Amino acid sequence: MRPSLVLALFLLAFGILDSALLWQSGQRRAAWPARMAPAGIATAAMGLTDLCLATEARYTRHPAVSDPMAPFMDHPGSLEHFPTGSFWACPVDRQRGGKP
Amino acid sequence: MNLSLEKQLNLLDYTLASLRRRKLKNLGIMIVFAAVIFLVASFQFLTASLTATAQDLLAEAPEIVVQKLSAGRQEALPLSYLARLQGVYGIRTIAPRIWGYYFSETSGANFTVLAVDPALMPKGDRLFQALDGQLPVGQGEVVLGSGVAADLNLAGRRSFSLFRPDLTLKPLRVVGSFKSDTDLLTSDLIFTTPDEARDLFTIAADHCTDLCVYVANPREISTIAKKISALLPGTRVLTRPQISQTYRVVFGWRSGFASICLLTALAAFIILAWDKASGLSAEEKREIAILKVLGWQTGDILLLRCWESLTVAGLAWLLGCTAAYLHVFLLGGELFKPVLLGWSVIHPPLRLLPTVAASDLLLIFTMSVVPYLAATVIPAWRAAIIPPDAAIR
Repeated sequence: MRPSLVLALFLLAFGILDSALLWQSGQRRAAWPARMAPAGIATAAMGLTDLCLATEARYTRHPAVSDPMAPFMDHPGSLEHFPTGSFWACPVDRQRGGKP
Repeated sequence: MNLSLEKQLNLLDYTLASLRRRKLKNLGIMIVFAAVIFLVASFQFLTASLTATAQDLLAEAPEIVVQKLSAGRQEALPLSYLARLQGVYGIRTIAPRIWGYYFSETSGANFTVLAVDPALMPKGDRLFQALDGQLPVGQGEVVLGSGVAADLNLAGRRSFSLFRPDLTLKPLRVVGSFKSDTDLLTSDLIFTTPDEARDLFTIAADHCTDLCVYVANPREISTIAKKISALLPGTRVLTRPQISQTYRVVFGWRSGFASICLLTALAAFIILAWDKASGLSAEEKREIAILKVLGWQTGDILLLRCWESLTVAGLAWLLGCTAAYLHVFLLGGELFKPVLLGWSVIHPPLRLLPTVAASDLLLIFTMSVVPYLAATVIPAWRAAIIPPDAAIR
């Protein structure tokens, strides 16, 4: 068998796998609105502002409504020590502070 | 078969045979390259998916949130502020909320305690659809998120207690639990009535944590927010677009871990490119010289090198991106979880909206495959233009 044919078969196998993943992704996206309807109701009815991803620090649990610079403002000389702080960017928004 | 196509196929055959001759080296390069692409693609998929999920789930977040600040920190807001906002034209509803954090000494978990009158909120009459059981209305009644229920380990019991700030016990009774489909929002939530939350946090009856303001015309959110800000100095006024903007920023390329990932990937790539660009080995130079003696043109040798690099980099890209998709959307981003969740005791399963844009794939391709091609073809061209007799000697 020609080496280029082996490569073509390999690429075909990958193409089939990736097509299957793409199809599965489409299925999940199509089912998403119906599946997440209760979550939409919870957001509206309780006035939720944030995703519950990291619960260790208030500025990563509620980045939208906590102090933008909280990682360094717990006390004078405070250092950021929560691991999630290294993953989440500080939501710096110059329009905050009462000036929307 | 078309002559040109036949020539390309023969070149590809020769390339693959050549790659096979140095399989250990080429396989090593491909695996390292695929691992770097996997890291970058995983991060890109995860952040894009988190952003899309946040935009979707928080589309109905409060239109305006008003918080009171004191010495740069948030503090309880007097309910008298409500009366001061009544005169603002365009405000439809104002709902005072009580919320805060409760740290569980036993497990080290942080719970979010939230209380609001659903009658004042949009879709408040449908809140029961988001939970199994009933809404809290009476004394001590609460609805728990799945993470809280698991952490408290109630084992069928419906009663438990939390400590007030003065260390007296506040007895509570579970009357419902949030549906698992809402985990990404409610996993750490204890939902109760405003009176019960005030009692737990010892907040005065004439105070609340913040105000959710809803306007008649969503186009006026920004204008009304400015009016509120002017009317209530010392407050922080957040709008729905700002909340949405926050989630576009926190998961962006600017976040710390992304920088580390990118720097690592970049460093690995620079080393790889430098290794390739620093010149071909004597054996490779001799091979090129022999090919030229046999009648190959410089262009043919460059094509050969192009095929070689394209095969290695293309396969690495395909492998890296496919593995990244499987990692993020089927395995829940397990590798990034320790950093994404940190020391969190309560964390929901990551059920994210699969989001893979063609632009992301193209960006990763451009960042990895194209520079690799450039870095390998240039030294090959240098070697190809050396006279064959000089190269063999």
